[in-house]
Amino acid sequence: MTFTRSAAALGVAVALAGTAAGIAGCGSASPSSSASSAPAKLVVWRMGGSVPSQVTWMNGVVAQFHKQYPQYSKTKVVVDWIPWGNRTTDWTNALTSGKGGPDITELGNTDTPGVASQGALANITSSVHSWSDGSQIIPGNLANDTVNGKVYAVPWFGGVRGIWYNKNQFAAAGITSPPTTWAQLVSDAKALMKKFPGTYGLGAPSDYTNAIVSFIWGAGGQVAVKQNGKWVAELNSPQSEAGIKFYADLYLTDHVSPAKYIGETELGTVGATSGGSNEDFALGKLDMYIDGPWAESQLAAVSTKNESQWASFPIPSENGPNPAPAFAGGSDLGVWVNSKYKTADFDLIKVMDSPANATTFANSQGFFPEFTSALSGGAYSGSAIMSGFAKAAAYTQISPLNSKNWATADATDNIIPDMMKALMQGANFTATVNKANTEMQNVLNTGSES
Amino acid sequence: MAQSIRSDHAPRSVPRLSGPGSARERLRTFIRRHKLAPYLLLAPALIGIALVLLWPLAQVAIYSFQNYGLAQITGVLPTQWVGFANFSTTFTDPEFWLSLRNSVLFAVVAVPLNLLVGTIVGLLLNRLGKKMSIFVSTAALLAWATPPVSASVLFYWMFNPDGGIVDWALARMPHWLVGSTDWAGYNWATNGPVQAYTMIAILVIWQAFPFVAVTLLAGLKTIPAELTEAARVDGAGPWRVFRRITFPLLKPIYLVLLLLSVIWDFNIFTQSYIIISLGNQNEYNLSMYIYDKAFGFPPSYGLGGALALIFALILLVVTVGYVRASIRQGALT
Repeated sequence: MTFTRSAAALGVAVALAGTAAGIAGCGSASPSSSASSAPAKLVVWRMGGSVPSQVTWMNGVVAQFHKQYPQYSKTKVVVDWIPWGNRTTDWTNALTSGKGGPDITELGNTDTPGVASQGALANITSSVHSWSDGSQIIPGNLANDTVNGKVYAVPWFGGVRGIWYNKNQFAAAGITSPPTTWAQLVSDAKALMKKFPGTYGLGAPSDYTNAIVSFIWGAGGQVAVKQNGKWVAELNSPQSEAGIKFYADLYLTDHVSPAKYIGETELGTVGATSGGSNEDFALGKLDMYIDGPWAESQLAAVSTKNESQWASFPIPSENGPNPAPAFAGGSDLGVWVNSKYKTADFDLIKVMDSPANATTFANSQGFFPEFTSALSGGAYSGSAIMSGFAKAAAYTQISPLNSKNWATADATDNIIPDMMKALMQGANFTATVNKANTEMQNVLNTGSES
Repeated sequence: MAQSIRSDHAPRSVPRLSGPGSARERLRTFIRRHKLAPYLLLAPALIGIALVLLWPLAQVAIYSFQNYGLAQITGVLPTQWVGFANFSTTFTDPEFWLSLRNSVLFAVVAVPLNLLVGTIVGLLLNRLGKKMSIFVSTAALLAWATPPVSASVLFYWMFNPDGGIVDWALARMPHWLVGSTDWAGYNWATNGPVQAYTMIAILVIWQAFPFVAVTLLAGLKTIPAELTEAARVDGAGPWRVFRRITFPLLKPIYLVLLLLSVIWDFNIFTQSYIIISLGNQNEYNLSMYIYDKAFGFPPSYGLGGALALIFALILLVVTVGYVRASIRQGALT
């Protein structure tokens, strides 16, 4: 039976090769040469999916860019749309191959410190300091893009999560004003479920760190605090535990969130770009849904039946009356380390992120601009959807979600999502939270954190 | 088999292009004297394997003792030798042991089931008439030929809590039969390793049993009908015939199928990556764990290299055990 031996050998060879070859195959990037003047084209990586209004906006920006900087009048600006779930893979591939990278990339504001410390972004400190509009940027948000005193990106737009609801449903269930405490939030959710049988009151997906932190903060807790240059995790403080328990209990004891959201993000399966609680809210199967104003386009893509009734309120804190601090999300613009045209790159960023253009863009997409001047005044109080989010935007926090190792803690090690999933599946509360706390502290302190 | 393949005589007299003392002739003599011809013929393949397999393997081994990652590629941080740090990190990570457990348990359950289903279908094919046999084997081979990505997406939708046909059907069955779980929104993929791997096991076996069945069918065709007939005449039932005659004769084939199934089922990545998706860490198998550690952000090729070596060693143990068993019973001759 020679067949036996050769087949076996083949099987082994294939198996071993598959295992090994998957890991190897990373070349090294060549150092870039900068300072050419007029590039033939600039590549901009935008996150998410192409939306017509954003294309129109970008066309306007490019026209201004050509006009303001005649030396680039022949430069083509190409926008590549990167799905959020692919961004780190695409950045990594561009860095390891040294090819196919952008000239300018959009980054989630929590990405910036980690991506910068991996050497993906050019140091633009002097350009930012000599940029006249730069002084108007909300100082805390620019600090987020600064690593070891060097600036690696500029804030472009910001956003906060709140709770979406349906005004008609609230009225029908006899809810006169949005809840401002956790007790009210749960009783309202139950009232809605009673009034609308077959629906769920408030969606609580377990893989939703950016919303869960609001509940931790809303009870006065912290994920981690910095003491003497070291991160100390505080997930198991009584306040943090109250927030974690409240979120888990939305499913466990209050039964206002369905089982199927366990292990899901707000958009369904991890990595999916639509589905889950987002889809259910748009279809009217979920009464209250936690997300930012940017979700409107996704919701409307599912169904516009209830669109006119959609409104928002801030995530309540444990005992009110002020909202829970919301995670200050948003996007930055950075110059890619391997770009050959770093001067032209920053010139384009200056047009994209001019106060006027950034404000137009933010308003059209349900975000807030990053300029103090644009946020003051009552620009957002008139809109049903935006007013709730504008209230939430007054109470924000970002640390430790902007620490260098946060990507590892959240995206690779899934510490908070794993913890929440285990709790919702009935794991021992104290042991699970303590385990997550230890892991959080270890990961945040990995390497030299400065 | 008849041993009559002896017609490959090379022509004895090759027309000589150069004299007996030429360099060409001396080279030829050298090759003949040292019996180098087989090695020369093997050389192109060996060079190919060395380039695409051995060199990456060596690279992986080198990385596994370094802190090699993205920051080392971009040059922000220096590449350093870290000794066995990557290995000790791995062995002290509870997630590693959890993933290993998931992989081992999956293989322990899926491999025997796969062989069982394959055997039953193989025996069936052997007894069916020609037309029916062609029909059944075509249907089975279509499942086998479906690309794993398509099949995984298909199963993902079938078991989806938002209107998947499995949840839909279970929700319409009486409670005394399927239990009182809220099946309509039952999330198979994220509810826990048991649920997720139940789904993946069905998928993997559905795609793998045709190979087992067809391979066994080829073996079954070589068993002389007199043997089974004689056993039947002596009063043996179908189970006894299988246990005493069919199985012993097909044992070498079963060993190959066992080894291949273990390797395949231990290795599954496509199915689990699509169905479970990164993020549900308590459901990771070893391949997903390696992928997450090696290519998650920020990527760590050092840690990934160490993991790949550990993974390869585990499979090597399986293989060595198999080869020993085969030699002992004289299959490898």
